[in-house]
Amino acid sequence: MTEPGSTLEPAGREDAAALECRDVVKTFKRGRRLRRKTMKAVDGASFSIRKGELFGLLGPNGAGKTTLVRCIATLLIPDAGSIRILGRDVFKDSLWCRQRIGLLTSGERTLYWKLSARANLNFFAALYGLSGKERDKRIDYLVELLGLKEVENERLERYSSGMKQKVSVARAILHDPDLILLDEPSLGLDPQFARFIRQFIREELNQRLGKTILITTHYMDEADELCNRIAFISRGKIVDVKSPAAYKRDIPHTEVLEIRVQGQPDTRPVETLPGVERASAEFKDGVTTVKLVLPRAETALADAIELLRTGSKILGVDVKQPTLEDVFLYVTGTSLGADTTEKPDEAGGRPGADGH
Amino acid sequence: MADSGAWNQVRHYARAVWAENIKEWKLELTYPADFARSLIDPVVYLLPYLLYGVALVGGRTSANLERLVGTSDIVSFVTLGYVFIGFMNMALWAMGFSLRKEQMYGTLESVFAAPVPRWVFTMGMSMHSILHQFLMIASQIIFITLLFSIRINPLGLLPSLAAVGVMLLSLYGIGMIMASTTLIFKQGWLISEALGSILMVLTPIAYPLAVLPLLMQKAALAVPTTYGILAARHFLLGEAMPFTVGDAFLRLAVLSVVWVVAGLVIFAVIDRWTRRSGTLSHY
Repeated sequence: MTEPGSTLEPAGREDAAALECRDVVKTFKRGRRLRRKTMKAVDGASFSIRKGELFGLLGPNGAGKTTLVRCIATLLIPDAGSIRILGRDVFKDSLWCRQRIGLLTSGERTLYWKLSARANLNFFAALYGLSGKERDKRIDYLVELLGLKEVENERLERYSSGMKQKVSVARAILHDPDLILLDEPSLGLDPQFARFIRQFIREELNQRLGKTILITTHYMDEADELCNRIAFISRGKIVDVKSPAAYKRDIPHTEVLEIRVQGQPDTRPVETLPGVERASAEFKDGVTTVKLVLPRAETALADAIELLRTGSKILGVDVKQPTLEDVFLYVTGTSLGADTTEKPDEAGGRPGADGH
Repeated sequence: MADSGAWNQVRHYARAVWAENIKEWKLELTYPADFARSLIDPVVYLLPYLLYGVALVGGRTSANLERLVGTSDIVSFVTLGYVFIGFMNMALWAMGFSLRKEQMYGTLESVFAAPVPRWVFTMGMSMHSILHQFLMIASQIIFITLLFSIRINPLGLLPSLAAVGVMLLSLYGIGMIMASTTLIFKQGWLISEALGSILMVLTPIAYPLAVLPLLMQKAALAVPTTYGILAARHFLLGEAMPFTVGDAFLRLAVLSVVWVVAGLVIFAVIDRWTRRSGTLSHY
């Protein structure tokens, strides 16, 4: 498909990275004048993505993933640093760069629910410079590809969440962008749709069409399954960038001791047991899951159970090989399931943060 | 090559403006009852003013009105004033609040991530509002003609539309300002309401400019709707203006430039501010 606007200006540098972020800083001020607080959502993030790469930003809620994506998509202006797409600055050449970005923002409400899928796509096609037969052909192709043919003329308000997400994906890739930004693409979807979306991203967009993709997620499985390389992001900082396999190789002689306990006991004594390199505790649905990363699980097993069983019931104990999630815990000291969003009473919230 | 590039860009923006207009129509027509109400309401609002005027002067002609502006037909005078002031309401409310609507739909970021300047988007919203306003005008004129019959000079239609066209440019600037204020003020309607009330008083809609206190007459000369409505009534009813036709167009043109530039600058500043503060999608 000929990309509209491509004849208007010279293309970006052939040898340039598809996306390059350098020392990007984004702070937000919140609260009333006298109690105003500053919060760093992105803190000096630097990474680059090669053409054709499927790159993941993996981090817990509130890590700064969405803020960073919004900066790349020119919806937010960073306080410092630079962002370049195919060698061109996104803020100096914002229209050129926007033409080359396909953005899928998180959340369902990014389309007009009172309009049909086709009407939505027609509208966005015009914004991206597509018209006439070229537009119709492209929409026909995407509607077919994403299995929307039967319902393309029905209003979106009648669609399930998964179907709406398919239309959002179609909208994001409608103009055949060079760089696709997918912010939590499977968030809130049922497993069947989530699987479809993941497969579509990997097999269709990346492998068949060769698109460069930046995907943000807090699902370890998603990042592990899809990405060539992953940047761990925690509290606004890019902690490390590697392939999933390289991450796992980082902690080869390590085990993960996972203990599930009823209620919410004090887990601090367990986390400081000898040999424990990293620890996390997550409370969900009345059960606390304690994870200890250590060279040999059996060295701490008895003591940990002893400490946790005081006043609580042990529901299960597992010794596992480290997953990417455990590597994240090991590298950043934060669990992927944690919510690191600063609360309004701490710093006035985190605009653009995941789940916001 | 450069010309072809520029031409492609113009076509891209023109299509985006049209698509925005069509999208707004489609959304509006999903609520047919609201749409029907939007055509009936303007007639209902206008009727009491006409009946009040007719009752006060004891008929539809007024010698005093003729002495002040050169035309005696109070029904035609008030109807045309109200018909054209509708464009101001369009700028303050319909266009001003369309970004707020996008925020509430959740689509503002998707739209603002597209490779078109913001003014293209607001131009599309404005096109929809103007077309909607023309439908409202048609509805008003049909009803009032059926009830009272309006006597206008048909030869004045084209020049009056030209005056209204230049006035619309100014109103586009005002609409841009209103649209940008709704991005930062959650209760932007308060500003619209206050500004709308002031402009309604200053614009000689149902009364001649001459009846305003002197200071208000001076202030009215800074308002584009004053020239638009006076010129339109001049061409259609023969209303006497306190300035020449050329002067009216010149002043309207100057005001248009001022309001459009102010609108674009204020919109750009506020857009940048919202992208710095991260409040673009907040509502």
